[in-house]
Amino acid sequence: MSSWYAEKSPQDDIVVSTRIRLARNLSGIPFPARMTAEQRKDLNLKVKKAITESNTPFAKSLNYIDMSDVPQTEVMAMVERHIISPEFAGSNAERAIILSADESISIMIGEEDHIRIQVILGGFQLEKAYEIAEALDNLLYNSLNFAFDRNLGFLTECPTNLGTGLRASVMLHLPVTESSGEISRIADSVGKIGFTVRGMYGEGSKPIASMYQVSNQITLGISEKNALDNLKIITEQLIDKERGSREGLNRVKLEDTCFRALGILQNCRVLSSEEMMNLLSRIKLGISMGIIKTEAMPIKLLIEGQPYMLMKKYGQLEPEERDIYRANRMREALA
Amino acid sequence: MLCDKCGKNNATTHIKQIINGVVTEHDLCSACAAKEGFGKFSNGSLAEMLSSMFGDIGAVGAGTKAVRCPVCGATFADIAETGKVGCADCYRTFYSELLPYLKRVHGTVKHTGKIPNSTPLAEKPQEETAENLRMELNRLVSEEKFEEAAVIRDKIKKLEEKGNE
Ligand SMILES: [Zn+2]
Ligand SMILES: [Zn+2]
Repeated sequence: MSSWYAEKSPQDDIVVSTRIRLARNLSGIPFPARMTAEQRKDLNLKVKKAITESNTPFAKSLNYIDMSDVPQTEVMAMVERHIISPEFAGSNAERAIILSADESISIMIGEEDHIRIQVILGGFQLEKAYEIAEALDNLLYNSLNFAFDRNLGFLTECPTNLGTGLRASVMLHLPVTESSGEISRIADSVGKIGFTVRGMYGEGSKPIASMYQVSNQITLGISEKNALDNLKIITEQLIDKERGSREGLNRVKLEDTCFRALGILQNCRVLSSEEMMNLLSRIKLGISMGIIKTEAMPIKLLIEGQPYMLMKKYGQLEPEERDIYRANRMREALA
Repeated sequence: MLCDKCGKNNATTHIKQIINGVVTEHDLCSACAAKEGFGKFSNGSLAEMLSSMFGDIGAVGAGTKAVRCPVCGATFADIAETGKVGCADCYRTFYSELLPYLKRVHGTVKHTGKIPNSTPLAEKPQEETAENLRMELNRLVSEEKFEEAAVIRDKIKKLEEKGNE
């Protein structure tokens, strides 16, 4: 069992990952922003009990982790692996998560909402990810008193999540669509039906490595099924478009671009994180076009080359040292 | 596409509003969108949207004693300032104040998704507690459905009379 980025997954030539998030809150206690330390500790234990005392396989497969026991480097590395949000990592409050061994399931307790159920899988696996999230939702609901209203749905700290509390997203690798300058037009048209397109590391982040995250924006007045179906249709169209555009590329020029990237990664001695990501993006394209033959997995390398992931493996490093370790790691992996 | 309002700049914001069941759609440039209070639409900042809708937040409820949520103690001004709702009960306490914002964000205030412990989309009537009825009453009043509201109000009365017996 390995993490979402370390496995061969369905349609992962284009779809890097699929993520489902459900926001849930308990009634009768304040939302996290207004909670006391006592209330937070109490909430952590309640959610922990709901899982560990459930008569389900989750009781054994999920682990409760008190975030104050986790070293800061590992906390930041969790953000880089997309297991927790940057906001959750940056908070000093009493937080806890419940995590599966392969890290595909993470339940953040005391983030913006009392409970955030997240399921992240490699490739395009919307139904499967939602199925797992829903099973956890039902399990938690059995022992916790979720705040729910007939008209407003699941009640959340930020009103933009009211209703289903569902955020479904897919991360897509769209180098050729991007180079044809069509991303903003696509963003506009999916925006009209309540979906957003943003860069890899969320809101406001500039696109890097040609990775784009598409997710639903509207949660009230749309059912989970509708939101998932729409995202599925949008994703399928983007996959078709990207694959189609790839076919039309000039083969020699494409080979040149991909092999140049490979050449740099096989020979570099100093490598910034941004340069690494953009080069691995071309390696990924080269692999899916049958140009580059390698056992290496570009997305796995991209995650492992992030600053805190490097420090988790090699110990505390200055930024200049990290660039050297990163270069070494890439040379080794792509030799 | 040019902005519907000024006709000069490119439209970058598409706005779909549902008012009394009538859908109106506009394509606005960012300047016009901001003027209409839709400037921060995409990141949905409650604080900014409320202040654009109500002007000076301090003026909301001026002259009357600030209403506090019985569970978390938040006032509407607290919510508007932070953009964060204090607790689940705040949605009942400040329902009519929040409603215009909720409509603007979601276009509707009718949940159609999963209902806990039931199959998705099943229309299961919620238990008729005084709490739930009051929330329903608020909704009907704010939607100006006064006849239906009167029925609910009578139900609440009856429930409360029962409770007092
Ligand atoms: Zn304009
Ligand atoms: Zn409250």
